[in-house]
Amino acid sequence: MVSLTIDGKVIQVPKGTTILTAAAELGIKIPTLCWLKKVSTTGACRVCVVKVEGVERLMTACNTPVKDGITVITTSPEIESVRKKTLELMLVNHPLDCPVCDAAGECNLQDTCYELKVDKNSYNAGLERLPIRYDWKLLESDPNRCILCEKCVKVCREVVGREAIETVDRGECAIIDTINREPLDCDFCGNCVGVCPTGTLISKPFKFKGRPWTFDVRESICAFCSSGCQIGYHVKDNRVERVTSSDDGFNKGNLCINGRFGYSAFNSSERLKSPLIKNGSGSLNKAAWDQALEVAAAGFKKIVAESGGSAIAGIASPRVTNEENYLFQKFMRGAIGSNSIDSEARLGYLPAQEIQWKMLGYSGGTFSMDMIEKATAIIVIGSDLKAESPGFAYRVIQAVTKNDAKLLLAGSRATSMDKFSNASLRCRPGSESWLVAGLNKALLASDNGKTAQVTGFDALKSSLDALSFETIFTQTGITETSFTDAAALICTGGKTAVIYGAEIIRSVDAQNAVAGTIDLALLTGATSESGAGIYPLDEKNNTQGMLDMGCCPEYLPGYRIFEHAAAAFSSAWNTNIPTAAGKNLFQIIEGIEKGEIRSLYVMGSDPLNFIPNRSRVLKALQKLELLVVQDLFLTDTAKLAHVVLPAATGAEKSGSFTSVDNRVQCFAAAVKPVAEARTDADILSRLYSMVSKNGASVIESTEALQHEITTLSGLYSESCNHTGCKMGRVKNRTETSVSLPLTPIVPATTSRRFALTVGATQHHNGSMTTWSENNMTVDGEAYIAISNEDAAVINVVSGDIIAITSDSGSISIKAKLSGTLQAGAIFIPAHFTDSSTTALMTSPSFPVYVSIEKA
Amino acid sequence: MAQVVFSTWGGITVDNRNVSGEPKAVSYRLPVAFDGERPLRAFMGWDGIILFSNDVDVPAMTAEYMKRVQTLYCCGKCTPGKKGTKVLMDLFQNVLDGTAAEADLDAVEDLAELLKNCKCTLCQSATIPVFDAVKHYRDDFIAYLTNNGHPRVQPASYIHKITAPCMDKCPSHIDIPKYIEAIKNYQFDLSLETIRENMPLAAVCGRVCPHPCETACRRKNVDEAVSIMLLKRTASDYERTHNVKPPMVPKVRKSKSIGIVGAGPAGLAAAYYLALEGYPCTIYETLPEGYGGGMVAVGIPAYRMPRPILQRDIDIIQSVGVEIVYNCRVGSDITLPELKKKHDAVFIAPGAHSSKPMGVDGEDNGYKGFLSGGIYFLRDAYLGKPTGMGKKVVVVGGGNTAIDCVRVALREGAEMSCLVYRRSRNEMPADVWEVDGADEEGVKFEFQVLPTKIIANEQNEITGVECVRMALGEPDASGRRRPEPMPGSEFVIECDTVIPAIGQDMDLSFIPHDMGIDITKWNTVVTKYLPLKDSAGKDLKDGMGNPLSRTLMTDCDGVFAGGDAEIGPLTVVACVGNAHRAANVIQRYLEEGKTYLSDQDIFDDLLSYLGVYDKNESVSWLDSAARAHQVEIHGKERAAKGNYNEVELGFSDSKAQKEADRCLRCYRMAMVAL
Repeated sequence: MVSLTIDGKVIQVPKGTTILTAAAELGIKIPTLCWLKKVSTTGACRVCVVKVEGVERLMTACNTPVKDGITVITTSPEIESVRKKTLELMLVNHPLDCPVCDAAGECNLQDTCYELKVDKNSYNAGLERLPIRYDWKLLESDPNRCILCEKCVKVCREVVGREAIETVDRGECAIIDTINREPLDCDFCGNCVGVCPTGTLISKPFKFKGRPWTFDVRESICAFCSSGCQIGYHVKDNRVERVTSSDDGFNKGNLCINGRFGYSAFNSSERLKSPLIKNGSGSLNKAAWDQALEVAAAGFKKIVAESGGSAIAGIASPRVTNEENYLFQKFMRGAIGSNSIDSEARLGYLPAQEIQWKMLGYSGGTFSMDMIEKATAIIVIGSDLKAESPGFAYRVIQAVTKNDAKLLLAGSRATSMDKFSNASLRCRPGSESWLVAGLNKALLASDNGKTAQVTGFDALKSSLDALSFETIFTQTGITETSFTDAAALICTGGKTAVIYGAEIIRSVDAQNAVAGTIDLALLTGATSESGAGIYPLDEKNNTQGMLDMGCCPEYLPGYRIFEHAAAAFSSAWNTNIPTAAGKNLFQIIEGIEKGEIRSLYVMGSDPLNFIPNRSRVLKALQKLELLVVQDLFLTDTAKLAHVVLPAATGAEKSGSFTSVDNRVQCFAAAVKPVAEARTDADILSRLYSMVSKNGASVIESTEALQHEITTLSGLYSESCNHTGCKMGRVKNRTETSVSLPLTPIVPATTSRRFALTVGATQHHNGSMTTWSENNMTVDGEAYIAISNEDAAVINVVSGDIIAITSDSGSISIKAKLSGTLQAGAIFIPAHFTDSSTTALMTSPSFPVYVSIEKA
Repeated sequence: MAQVVFSTWGGITVDNRNVSGEPKAVSYRLPVAFDGERPLRAFMGWDGIILFSNDVDVPAMTAEYMKRVQTLYCCGKCTPGKKGTKVLMDLFQNVLDGTAAEADLDAVEDLAELLKNCKCTLCQSATIPVFDAVKHYRDDFIAYLTNNGHPRVQPASYIHKITAPCMDKCPSHIDIPKYIEAIKNYQFDLSLETIRENMPLAAVCGRVCPHPCETACRRKNVDEAVSIMLLKRTASDYERTHNVKPPMVPKVRKSKSIGIVGAGPAGLAAAYYLALEGYPCTIYETLPEGYGGGMVAVGIPAYRMPRPILQRDIDIIQSVGVEIVYNCRVGSDITLPELKKKHDAVFIAPGAHSSKPMGVDGEDNGYKGFLSGGIYFLRDAYLGKPTGMGKKVVVVGGGNTAIDCVRVALREGAEMSCLVYRRSRNEMPADVWEVDGADEEGVKFEFQVLPTKIIANEQNEITGVECVRMALGEPDASGRRRPEPMPGSEFVIECDTVIPAIGQDMDLSFIPHDMGIDITKWNTVVTKYLPLKDSAGKDLKDGMGNPLSRTLMTDCDGVFAGGDAEIGPLTVVACVGNAHRAANVIQRYLEEGKTYLSDQDIFDDLLSYLGVYDKNESVSWLDSAARAHQVEIHGKERAAKGNYNEVELGFSDSKAQKEADRCLRCYRMAMVAL
């Protein structure tokens, strides 16, 4: 600790603390325009000057570390004069367009000049006006308003890891621009806009939407990816017009394109505004709520009466709240009497988490994701982090740049995180389980891997002994040396974090790939108290919560099994719930085909666009006697429905989401549902009372519902463990550490030589953001990414149409050449439903082997 | 003798403008003519203004100076710098245009004061000469406002140079503040790109450079120098440890080629810069493949410069279009005239790979255990050949080579490794940290001891070396007190091996006499130079006693020389700087048929001669961030037999980032009026 005196007050602070921070601890505010806690110091504005006794010049408080015994004076006539003159200089040639400046009212420059009473200017210079960048997407830059604080540049580089903007040119012409001065081409996360102290970098969609002070800012949780970022919806006239995030929050104010700009999906004119009922001729017509609910309820009741509850299945949503998912399964089990409830998590996340549960005793992340920042080694396997869950990418960037963590990236595709990596193991698509096995094997061969004390270790070791690096090389294309070098990186004896994504979770040999990834976490000590945890990723905001709430056929809320808990649920719900496991997603389709399932209730989900084998699924859905779909938009599935119920967005409801790292965060509604739309909770509770045999109302109050979840699931506690949230999650882990042996499967040979992966990209989240005008401005159409080599072989250039054929179907789509894809690998973003990729799939795993040709 | 008309340089005002008697005699370390031809009329820089001529238009020069600072160098990254220099630039332009008011000139003092709060030194230091000009030539400024013009002055041409004390002191003139700022900003790639503009061997000079830059670091005037060298290593290691492919792309391949003698730092550097310009370069190297790098390879042990890391720098140089022909000794495998015929230009950079004799009794007797030179010993050890070393080793000398020898002897399995030096530890020319390193590894030191005789047994095997203790006598020409033997103090150090390591020499026997290439009495190659003279008419020399500004072409047209063989045995960084210049001159020779130095080249030499760093400058700054230290392997085991693992481990990236934040970014601009 270092002791110093500031304005006569003595304070002790840790070595390395800046004078600015030390003063803040004493409650002394030193004005500054360029200091930003989350990035390295800049010292650009020179407004924070202070006097240190014994030092002739003034020192800038923001970037001067304290020294033992110094005496600092933060205000004096000399200091005030320098600050004022500096601000006067800053205002030389600063445009006086405050009346139309976006920042007016929330401008740090305005505030600071006001505070320091800068009401004249002794300096002047020839006026030079620099061109405003109107040609950027989503962002606009007026360099004339810029004070060159570099916050934007630093956030872009140090937080987002993009380096899209830089200070270019010299002297008075020095501005923030793209390095090559071409239009901006970046993540479009808008974090630069978020930190801009003036109206230089502004959000185009927000421009002229209203003065900042006319908006209510409602704290909420982002409803896009699984990072669970804390956000503020800026609301006026029941519309969200902007999303910001506070630097004091969990995510330090950092968002991604979806979080910051995806809200325009909520305002889309395509939103369902009233219920629809299919008429005799097969077209969907507007209906009143009572009428629509009556048709749905009557239909359900009729089928239950005729065929029992098991003739109705439900598909839950990773988008809606925990409470709504809880109500959904309660409706299906308690009112309908069916355990056939499933979701898109069946395609990968759920089976993967069952393996993780078996091996570790819990699903989801070991710790909250900020632990990653403390890691000294990070293994990211099979994930394009920024596409799947940007919050994780930001944490990894912090760890590698500020904590010197070593980063190992393993997977079949290059990603934007590659530049941070110390080793990159690039496997052939489909060989993920071999990749993971190779890494485990190399780790065991090194000295550090052997110390792990885990059950099943010997079986794991002998299974790996049975594999040779030659075989692993044949499958993955990765040499023993590469594996050994990579293992050496992560064997540093420090804190390791393991993050795994869709390429592992939906790999052809997911069982071995997932088990092997968890083995890696066990061998590196990632899951121990001294580790930095393991984290499965999912693209959507509440997949983890949806599963926690029992939206699957095999578990009740809290992963309780029927044998032990069915009675308790029946009794609490005053009904008799079925006690045998229901049908899963695939069995539901089969059940429909066989006539065992006559009705399907789909909440916030578009199964036609995620269940493999599109034509078969389409036929099945068309066969249903009653298809009820509640959603924000008229999805492809909704178009087939008999009853369509307009639902509400994350901004229009209250509840809680559980991120993949097991943070449960509550939020209140920011706006009322648009037009006639209702929250899923409202719809479910109405339907419950209409369909339930005893006609009971399902919720008395939010508190009562949360209490019920706590009591019955045994998973979530009632008390809040963080700000703004009423629920905290009980980590009822059994802390098992069971490694599983690995026996990777040799993929079947196929005559189709292109390996197709369908997955997430960084300018979208699910298909939801394809309804967002903002996201579509940046990334507006489906495409197939193909390597330059392969493109040359089939003679296509970007923009040509490629016909893709698999064993189950074919589609045609526009080509986009990629400099990073390996030859033989092709990629289609999962977001655009018009690409109909489910037509090519026969199973949920990737890659799908296809043939391609120029169409 | 050129007379100083007026000067404020160094804060001392000399005003000879209106003296009736003898003008005040004052001289500065500047030539009377910029390039030996164009007279130097005025000099303007961070420390004031110097006028050598009475007819200089001071307001015009001041306006030009401020305009260049603001539009060419001001980074814009701090408010006073960005806006203050703009206000000043426009103010002076208004003076020249006659549109300013006299009172406007008062703002200059106010801004000079306010700009003391700049983030770095550039704009701040620019206010000093400008303020001096306005203060002492105020009438000239006012004349512009009243006479609508300034008739009595001669127009001038201006040349400027951006520099910094560290940058100036670095013989390669690496843009040190820029590469350090890049590290501070987590831009390791930009940092390395900046280093490579003047230093292709970043991994090498990030490890084994004696870093003269750090002796000229202004941070030293606050607390301790910034760890400039290690930050260079950080930038280079970052690329390597992140498997980044170096981004350099050579220009379109040209037809004229260059033959280079020696794959040492000079040969490699010249080849790199010429190859980037598109010129095919072929280096002819005596040593076998895998041992490129010249003295960096065979003279610097692997625990200081790991071979794979050196090889990576060489591979990168080759990747831009350089061919290295190994096992090819110029003079025997191919002659120099043949090389000249084969290529459009030849660059001679053979290094200094011979050892100087000791002049000790028994040295020439062919005793077993007498190794003829430290650098041969290091080379044999490096190449994995038998060195002829026994178990008890005495190394004679006080330089870095001697230290390398005693430390390598331990790693080659010596039971005793002893260094004998005739002066004291403090007087050793070897770097302090190298001496300390040897000490930690268990090397024995015998200071103020002179070997007088090598003692051998009947089998002609060395059994010891007779020495005499030395006492300090009168100071010699170098100012050091001359050690003199103390009669009766003779003693014997028992040993079986004696290695002299007292100096390197050049072997230029491959240069035929009839080529017209001159050799100096110090056995270095003579190259052409500019006739720079000071006001007393004396030739300007560099620190090695060579002419200050050399084009590096020998007296034989198309044959250039560089590196140790041209400078005299010096450092990697000096050889690289010298070879970079040679590459530029060779390019001019090939493209324009002329060999000349650019104004920027000459300005570099002038500034090194003038000196940019001032150790007496009082730098006002809070000394609250101490210099960072790298992690090192400690303990005697690091020098165990066969252990050539790297001893110094560099900085972690985050530590480097913090260290980079200590840099005061001491840029400044000098300008001359001719």
